[in-house]
Amino acid sequence: MFVEFFYALRDRGIPVTPTSFLRLHKALSLGMVHSLEDFYTTARTILVKSERHFDGYDRIFANHFRGLELQEPTTAELTEIARALLDEWLKDPGEIARALGVDGEKLQGMTPEELIKYFLDRLREQTEAHHGGNRWIGTRGTSPVGHSGHHPGGMRVGGQSRNKSAVKVALERRYRDYSQDGPLTERQMAEALKRLRRMTPSGPRDIVNIDRTIAQTMRNAGEIEIVFDRRLTDRLKIVLMIDNGGWSMDPYVNIVRTLFHHARSQFKDLKIFFFHNTIYSRVWADPQRYFKPEPVEDFIRRDPETRLIIVGDASMAPYELIHGNGAIYADQKATGASIDRLKFLARTFRHAVWLNPVPPEEWEQTWTIGVVRQVFPMFELTLDGLEKAVLHLMAKH
Amino acid sequence: MNLHRFKEQPSMTKAAKPASFRGASKYVLDDELAKIVNVSMALEMPLLLKGEPGTGKTMLAHAIAESMGMPLIILNVKSSMKLVEALYQYDTLTRLNDSRFGDSQRDVSDIEAYIRMGKIGQAFVSEVRTVLLIDEIDKADTDFQDDMLDVLDQMQFDIIEIDKTVTARHRPVIVITSNAKKDLSDPFLGRCNFHHIAFPDPDMMRLILDVHFPKLDEELLGACVRTFYRLRELRGIEKKPATRELINWLRALKSDPDFRPQLLQQGRIPYLGILFKKSADLFQAVQQLGRGQM
Repeated sequence: MFVEFFYALRDRGIPVTPTSFLRLHKALSLGMVHSLEDFYTTARTILVKSERHFDGYDRIFANHFRGLELQEPTTAELTEIARALLDEWLKDPGEIARALGVDGEKLQGMTPEELIKYFLDRLREQTEAHHGGNRWIGTRGTSPVGHSGHHPGGMRVGGQSRNKSAVKVALERRYRDYSQDGPLTERQMAEALKRLRRMTPSGPRDIVNIDRTIAQTMRNAGEIEIVFDRRLTDRLKIVLMIDNGGWSMDPYVNIVRTLFHHARSQFKDLKIFFFHNTIYSRVWADPQRYFKPEPVEDFIRRDPETRLIIVGDASMAPYELIHGNGAIYADQKATGASIDRLKFLARTFRHAVWLNPVPPEEWEQTWTIGVVRQVFPMFELTLDGLEKAVLHLMAKH
Repeated sequence: MNLHRFKEQPSMTKAAKPASFRGASKYVLDDELAKIVNVSMALEMPLLLKGEPGTGKTMLAHAIAESMGMPLIILNVKSSMKLVEALYQYDTLTRLNDSRFGDSQRDVSDIEAYIRMGKIGQAFVSEVRTVLLIDEIDKADTDFQDDMLDVLDQMQFDIIEIDKTVTARHRPVIVITSNAKKDLSDPFLGRCNFHHIAFPDPDMMRLILDVHFPKLDEELLGACVRTFYRLRELRGIEKKPATRELINWLRALKSDPDFRPQLLQQGRIPYLGILFKKSADLFQAVQQLGRGQM
């Protein structure tokens, strides 16, 4: 039952597992679902595990159940799902057995062919039960549960959902906001950046090592000897270069500021530099890009293990990046094209990433982004992107 | 076990032991959430709740416990927490003390006397079915989360020191909350039912306030709710005011004899500090209100 719906969800990239699909059937067979509204809620809570997919679920649900008669799944489809079940079964037999509500031991003894047949029978059974008049789902929704509105015992039901059909609720697309990746907050940044820390022992010996204390005490036949270790501190060096000029970065000021602010509080050895659009012969340690220039060549003297993070939209006129005299400021004695500077930095620091606040869908539209991407691995400046960037920075090259 | 006892029957609602969850005295429940709670209880699966702070994730567990007449056990997860702490503790210090000074009634050779149950352990050994709230699971690391789900799945754990297995007498109703935008691990999610509590809309908010302030003036209520939702839309605010702040704010307004609802319409909003708790946010709010950008 609802095999098509299941596949519709899967096809649209909502990660639903066969196990959870079985669980949904168990809920149906427990008599928990009396109307399409119930089904909407029940199926979502069991199948969909992240609010980011709620919107997708709503759309598929509305599409699937609006004026649609439920059709019997074909044998081919059932075989498909039975096969998927077998895969799950191989991963975790106990889970499937529980979801089916059968004894794991019994399934254990079966060959794969028998298992597939068994799953098939189970699925068919569900289908037949539905068509045999045992209405698990009816569209007229005269449910004794939840929606009746009588709630003795002090229950208050809020909202107006009683008068709306599930399809209408789904069509409202209440969860549209959650389907995109939300803006980064400081706390999320902290979570992501934390992984960048690399702890190495240094500093005073003031941490008690419990295990070794116990071992040592036992060797001394009970005379207590406390063993101290050195404290762990972060020895990772980070260089952060931020594009802080030009109108093209204006929409992203807030997000970059958050990153900047947070990077400060996370890392001991953090150097921040600024540039405009792209990097020529120098970068600046002051945001005005005037007082404290730092020649790019000098970066070769830094520890090559330093992690280099560049934040910028990488969007500019092509000549700024490629031409030997492309610098848009007259006082920058350009020697060589900016792209060569970038390549120099990429060579100097093996662990380098470019974080781009521009959404990846738009990367194709700007030619210079494509060029920069060939030099630095580029990640979007969202929680997802930041996490991937951190993984990349910590990977052994 | 007989699962049908969760099926709601109108005749049962007056019985001493309510069979399914229908809300509690201080909690406004919507249909959808009631359904989800009941499904999770029937399937005996933990319910994972996400949503921004102030949407009542923690309160839901309190409400379930209250309405079902079950004791509530709360496990506040901390980032440094080890799973075993949530299960049991072996109080070695007291035992050492007893063995040296011997002035207690406990038998030092009996290690079991020094085992104390942690929160999950308490829920397992409880004589009656309990509601187990695992608050802010996202604080712990992934290993903790996955191992904990294993324990909750099997409904038993071992006490290594005395080689004893603790098995749950009653499967607790488990509610897990998470604040993180980030998804939890797949195996974890696979074992939970999931719901995301959206921030209440103005109508729902009125109902919630109605529960907390039963005899509130309609004009004041309307003005406050409208102002509150306008304030939530100010730009550049990191921590938006939530239900809790609104309730506290109303409390403050009510106790102020000089306050008139008309003030709010004129854009003069007292006690902004109750609503905006970060100094940068408060500054932003005052600035934007000053410029009349409401």
